Amino acid sequence: MSIEQNLSQLCNVSSDKKNEHLFIYLTGSFSLKNLNEFTDLIHATVKDEKPQETSIDFSGIAYLDSAAALALIQIQKFFQSNNMECSFVNLTGEAQRIFSVIHEQALIKTPLKTKTKQDFFLIQTGDAFLQLVRDFIEIIEFVGNLLFAFFYTILHPRTLRINDVLFYMRRAGVDGLPIVGLISVLIGLIIAFMSFLQLKQIGANIYVPSLVSFAMVKELGPIMTAILVAGRSGSAFAAEIGTMMVNEEVDALQTMGFDPIRFLAVPKVLAAIIVVPILTVYSDFFGVVGGLIVGVTGLDLTVNTYISQSIKTIKVFDIVTSLIKAAVFAALIASIGCQRGFKVRSGAQDVGKFTTSAVVSAIFLIVVTDSIFAVTLYYLR
Amino acid sequence: MEIKSDEPIIVVKNLTARFGSNFVFENVSFHVKKGEILVVVGESGCGKSTLLKMMIGLHKPSAGSVTFQGVNIVAASEDELNNYRQNIGVLFQSSALFSSMMLGENIALPLQEYTNLDSAMINMIIKMKLGMVNLAGYENHYPSELSGGMKKRAGIARAMALDPIVLFFDELSAGLDPVTAVELDDLIIKTNEALGTTMVIVTHELESICKIAHRVVMLDKTARGIIAEGKPQELKEKATDPRVRSFFLRQLPENVYQDNAYGK
Repeated sequence: MSIEQNLSQLCNVSSDKKNEHLFIYLTGSFSLKNLNEFTDLIHATVKDEKPQETSIDFSGIAYLDSAAALALIQIQKFFQSNNMECSFVNLTGEAQRIFSVIHEQALIKTPLKTKTKQDFFLIQTGDAFLQLVRDFIEIIEFVGNLLFAFFYTILHPRTLRINDVLFYMRRAGVDGLPIVGLISVLIGLIIAFMSFLQLKQIGANIYVPSLVSFAMVKELGPIMTAILVAGRSGSAFAAEIGTMMVNEEVDALQTMGFDPIRFLAVPKVLAAIIVVPILTVYSDFFGVVGGLIVGVTGLDLTVNTYISQSIKTIKVFDIVTSLIKAAVFAALIASIGCQRGFKVRSGAQDVGKFTTSAVVSAIFLIVVTDSIFAVTLYYLR
Repeated sequence: MEIKSDEPIIVVKNLTARFGSNFVFENVSFHVKKGEILVVVGESGCGKSTLLKMMIGLHKPSAGSVTFQGVNIVAASEDELNNYRQNIGVLFQSSALFSSMMLGENIALPLQEYTNLDSAMINMIIKMKLGMVNLAGYENHYPSELSGGMKKRAGIARAMALDPIVLFFDELSAGLDPVTAVELDDLIIKTNEALGTTMVIVTHELESICKIAHRVVMLDKTARGIIAEGKPQELKEKATDPRVRSFFLRQLPENVYQDNAYGK
């Protein structure tokens, strides 16, 4: 009896049974591309015929790859485990060479390392807490080193890489102007519009300019700018230093006798401290402009009235504290970005992990610091 | 199981690489025969890696064609290019293993993407490929846990995952110790002999070239193209071109001091 079936990829499996001995003839190309088809067919043929002995004939094979050879070995093992003799016959020289590189020991060798299993919930919680403590200690240590590097730079101003400072000022500041301006105008518009909807019910439209300018200068200007800088520059600092860590550039700096923090972090932190307060003033201005657009077009206020109301509300104290706040935010964003960058050890995944961590930590610290400022300034006033 | 023959499997014709007004090479033509190990050599900056990247379809040449089994991959559609990429394997200079994945996952990736094999069969193929490169048992290791030579071997295992027709290697043994380099050479020879895979290798290593190459193509920066082609032993012994001789005999060109030394 003989069956013959054509498979995709030009291979053919035929069989012939003589006295409980089944001969399976393979002809054509046997590769990864038709592996499932020919293995299913061989299994089906053997299942139908139920022989005591099977011989797989290789004389007609034109192409065989290592995956197909492995599949045939697996078939042979399967039949043998079911108490059926199975042998390969008429192996060509090429087929023999392919079988020679498939090591039996490698196929049954257990992995040298087992996959790491998830720990029990309590252990995970404990680990997370310990990680938090370690993280806090590392940040304190980094801030100490950074302050030391700053003092060193103040005492030795010639060691400051001024070109780097200017470069990062452009990156964090000038390049960020369009997005900071756009977001600030929109925030100003939104506050003016939302407050107008409420204040018009009691006929207090005139307080819209005061509310917009107060909110922008006191809180939203510094916070929005800081969050944008954290997203744009904090992440960039972490990714840049992280990639340098992976490429052993930081190790090279150390072996050349440079302090990586003084060389890489100080210019970035200094540039951020200079540029973020300026960006904040710019953000405040555009926020007020956003409110002005709503005030003039929707509230029938004149430009002069709007501006004079705004100026009346804002005190010098508010502007100065807003700028101090912005400088503190800048120091936090740049420091945490650099610190996270230095924590990268290997690979692209680490860079991604610590870049995300830099942004999340910076935003968290911005909000915490802003709360501290709010309480402190209330009592100072 | 490719049978070695004189039939060309890849034909490179009039290939030109130009960046702005700078020509890296122009009108480079050669072919790769089925089942052979072709080594591309030449001094740094002569365009070996650029040529390799054009042959694997990563860079578009300024002019010329690269034909694989009748399809010009320079002008190929995305589908044709994808089909070509399933028939080739590439080992990059840095191995380029995915650091976030274990070795087993690195090898499984193309198998999961391009075949409909079940996970048990994929696991067996992973074990087989790792066994072929003497890394049996390392499927749960991350690339960061391996040495440079092991990473290269793991990279070869991944490149061979789909049993490609052609394997490309960029700087096969660069930065490896001599023993590891010899191990890699043996692995290349064994793989070529057993599986019949065609191989295109870019390297500087003279010992490797002489040991593994069936044929050598030599590029030169000043000539902006091929200056020699042939069997390594023949080039070493019979080449008359001083640039070829100085490369194979590891000698400085005769005029090197006149041209470069003491600022002249």
